[in-house]
Amino acid sequence: MINSILRYSLIFIILILLQVLLFNNIEFSGYVNPWIYVMFILLLPCEISAWLLLIIAFFTGLTIDLFCGSIGMHTSATVLAGFVRPYVMRLISPRDGYEPGSDPSISIYGFKWYLIYTLIIVLIHHTVLFFLEVFRFTDFFRTLLRVILSSLFSITFIVLLEYARKRK
Amino acid sequence: MRNLLNLLAKYNNLIIFLLLEGIALYLLSTGNNYHNTRVVKGVRGVTRGVEQKVSSIRSYFRLREINQELAAENAALKSTLESIKNKEEQLFFSVTDTVYKQQYTYTTAKIIDNSVNKQKNFFTIDKGEKHGLSVDMAVISDDGITGVVVGCSKNYSVAMSVLNLDFRISARIKSNGYFGSLSWDGQSFKHAVLNEIPQHVAVNVGDTIETTGFSSVFPEGIMIGTISNYENPGGDFYLINVLLNTDFKKLNYVYIIGNMLKAEQLELEKSFQ
Repeated sequence: MINSILRYSLIFIILILLQVLLFNNIEFSGYVNPWIYVMFILLLPCEISAWLLLIIAFFTGLTIDLFCGSIGMHTSATVLAGFVRPYVMRLISPRDGYEPGSDPSISIYGFKWYLIYTLIIVLIHHTVLFFLEVFRFTDFFRTLLRVILSSLFSITFIVLLEYARKRK
Repeated sequence: MRNLLNLLAKYNNLIIFLLLEGIALYLLSTGNNYHNTRVVKGVRGVTRGVEQKVSSIRSYFRLREINQELAAENAALKSTLESIKNKEEQLFFSVTDTVYKQQYTYTTAKIIDNSVNKQKNFFTIDKGEKHGLSVDMAVISDDGITGVVVGCSKNYSVAMSVLNLDFRISARIKSNGYFGSLSWDGQSFKHAVLNEIPQHVAVNVGDTIETTGFSSVFPEGIMIGTISNYENPGGDFYLINVLLNTDFKKLNYVYIIGNMLKAEQLELEKSFQ
């Protein structure tokens, strides 16, 4: 128990630092910026209770908000991502259900499952995030384009990080 | 009562979700418009240490470039100084003459946090109230306008970048003096849009756009950029794309301009409204 708390805290710190120090400074054409910290919501154990997930999501978003100086924006997007995660998992559950005590990882449930899982949650998170950022519906399609491009990059990086995580 | 408890137990996750989402949206609506005055003072202090470290590492990589810029500026300043010296030999200045009273004060500062990839970009600088900065001061770099201070704490300030959907400034075409309103359209960090230039005005690609000084924030005649292209969207005005002269991606040192006569100007203008 203590062990896993430590492990997840470490992952949390690594992901936040990666996001703030590395990914916030990468800009592809000034149009796209990947938010990979959502991965922390994705990799929590399958059987985590919904309320704990929500609270963790809240504090994850809040931490990113503190670093980006955008109080509330990432928090609301991440809380929503945490809220939909159980429903998404139910929606795309594998035929035999989830193994008790397992993580939703690529090595257990396969590439295709993980990709769909990441895709849905990242898209929801990014849509809310980018529309909250602009806070208006003029230029709707340009914002939509930013959502799609940024999601594409986020998903790619999250899948790559997932492979790297399983390697060690 | 039992029914109520059952209901709560059944929907407890939804309730927690709504509660947390409510808090988040509340924070968003109160803390985020014109951001940071509050955030700067309180919470952002937590992350400041990290930001400053990153920024100091980053500026190491650019030392050579920064040195060159400083040297070039030094040379320019020296040559203006020389011309002033010559003038002084010829002319007589009365020291108490109010015409030569200084209007603008300049402070240098370093940017410690900056972004170009959001829709509402802000940057943080390492000077604050202690150094005489206050809200609504202009921020420029060697190359042109950069932003406006929107919040100050004791040692730091947050400024709204030109690359912010809320940013507006009065700007004019240098060659003929027609002025309009300059804003950012949220697309490219290299371009801004100049509106309200009437269609009978001759506009050329490459014309210089500079500040007008109407706003009492920016001094007159500070470089903004050059016209990169323009179109007639129909209606009375041109839609002019301006290539910004400041490269927001590599901003490092900036000047904060305070207008010493601002209070006087505002007071006078107010009395006529």
